[in-house]
Amino acid sequence: MGGFLLRKAGAALVVVFLSSIVVFVGVRALPGDPALALGGENRDPAVMAAIRHSYGLDRPLPVQYLKWAGKAVRGDLGLDARQLSVAHTIVTRIPITLELAFLSILLGSVIGVVAGVIAAVRRGKASDHTATTFALVGLSLPHFWLGLLMIILFAVDLHWLPATGYVSFHAHPLQNLEHMVMPAIVLGTGLSAVLMRQTRSSMLTSLNADYVRTARAKGLPEIVVVTKHALRNSLITVTTVVGLQLGALISGAVITEQIFVIPGFGRLTLEAVNQRDYTLLQGVVLVAATGYVVVNLLVDVVYSLLNPRIRVSGKPA
Amino acid sequence: MSYVDTTATVINPRARRRRILRRRFLRRPLAVIGLVVALTFIVAAILAPWVAPYTVQQYDYNALLAHSSSKHILGTDELGRDVFSRIVWGARASIEAGVLATLLAMAVAVPVGIVAGYYRGWIDAAIARLTDVLLAFPFLIVAVGLAAILGPSLTNATIALGIGAAPALIRVARGEALALREEDYVRAAIANGASDVRILVRHVLPNMLSTLIVQATVAIPAAIIGEAVLSFLGLGVQPPTPSWGVMLADAQSYLSQAPRLAVYPGVAIFLCSLSFNLLGDGLRDVLDPRTTR
Repeated sequence: MGGFLLRKAGAALVVVFLSSIVVFVGVRALPGDPALALGGENRDPAVMAAIRHSYGLDRPLPVQYLKWAGKAVRGDLGLDARQLSVAHTIVTRIPITLELAFLSILLGSVIGVVAGVIAAVRRGKASDHTATTFALVGLSLPHFWLGLLMIILFAVDLHWLPATGYVSFHAHPLQNLEHMVMPAIVLGTGLSAVLMRQTRSSMLTSLNADYVRTARAKGLPEIVVVTKHALRNSLITVTTVVGLQLGALISGAVITEQIFVIPGFGRLTLEAVNQRDYTLLQGVVLVAATGYVVVNLLVDVVYSLLNPRIRVSGKPA
Repeated sequence: MSYVDTTATVINPRARRRRILRRRFLRRPLAVIGLVVALTFIVAAILAPWVAPYTVQQYDYNALLAHSSSKHILGTDELGRDVFSRIVWGARASIEAGVLATLLAMAVAVPVGIVAGYYRGWIDAAIARLTDVLLAFPFLIVAVGLAAILGPSLTNATIALGIGAAPALIRVARGEALALREEDYVRAAIANGASDVRILVRHVLPNMLSTLIVQATVAIPAAIIGEAVLSFLGLGVQPPTPSWGVMLADAQSYLSQAPRLAVYPGVAIFLCSLSFNLLGDGLRDVLDPRTTR
């Protein structure tokens, strides 16, 4: 188990390192000379040279990278165009997106797993067809459009929920949830469709496995066989899918926060592009990529806890 | 077996298999509907100048935010432009992004995946890490970066969507190559002294084609929705060029006055991606190697 996790952690480190190079090179490929932007009106070559020197822009790229990466590792992502700490801005925005992600994953996995289990157990029956149809619709539906439709129905027509905006949970828990319901549904439905399909197919495999037949032969009630034996094993695949869906979740958070005007990490990403604030963009992309890798490493840990075979053999099944 | 015999048996089973596949496909009404609707969108996109009753920049200032009428089947938008015509023209951006992004992803992912799966070893490990790096950048983040570097446009959005679709395809191609390299006919080709390129192009690639076709029909709707998202955010098609995403972004300002403006383009996106998904599901069932071989 230790060896397996060490190897996974090593691979994750390599990926983070390579991703940071992609981010660094990507930002260097941006049009425009940063010294020109920093110098403002002053175009005097001597001043330009002095600015380049003081920001280390005259050093070779690998040196610049090491300096930047060294700071980033210590949590210093530089200052944005408004001279605010990028790391601080990101840290204040992330909890909002984490709340949104948490609610969406909760909603998506409950709906997805329950529907998937029901569809698998009642394979070929009406409930199976209903669930698979909904999953197909969920996969084909542009979720941000669902958001617009929900705003029209629940905010504009019925006045049940606020259309846009955000209230922090500490300030007003109930209002916070009112603002989060629609965004969480928008982001959660896509996940539930993917999870439903995955749960259904892995449950169908588990339900035909020998240990399920044994459990049935022992005379265990069907509900115990399904939930304790079959579902437990299927959840292993489901965890991996949640990890892999994280990329879609990050993309989804960007557009969901844009529609519902939620000041989270996703909106920050768009603000960085729209304001052409490259230090901010660099920080945001680096944090997103690192977050993705870290969460998938955590998924691997959970995976190995759920699946004893991996712990023993040290190899993924 | 003589030489003449083999050619005879090679031609016949193929034709027979095609006939079986066609019959199997036609027995699935949902897949057939998917094919018909998808083709309708493609034809509408290609023939937009003839299908759409109005051109893209035809403003009717006497009918701003008009309801459906015989003159404007789906009404008009805030500038008096015919909504139906804009949806027809918008199909161009969606189909173009969907098909080109998928082709781009295939062009990158298939060779890389095949090499990883066929040769294994260090090159497989290196490609696996690179795929992980690609996965760490969600398509919207890639799109955001490309828009910042190259400026927002349909081309850059398509590139971002292609990059976003590549990792999953690399894994599929790798998995297929891994399985195919153990097949007897590949071993026979190796024993015959065939070159690696010949084995990969003549034996490995053709045998994973059906899997790749199914993957493509799944990737196209994802890219169609992705294009709508990017255009909605201003990172894709730029107004006044019509795109379903741009139309939805414009409609946001008129949700209370004219909610229908936010409905029609979304229905178009939904139907278009649903049709490709239905087609993909049907093809998967029809081409499933476990039932045909």
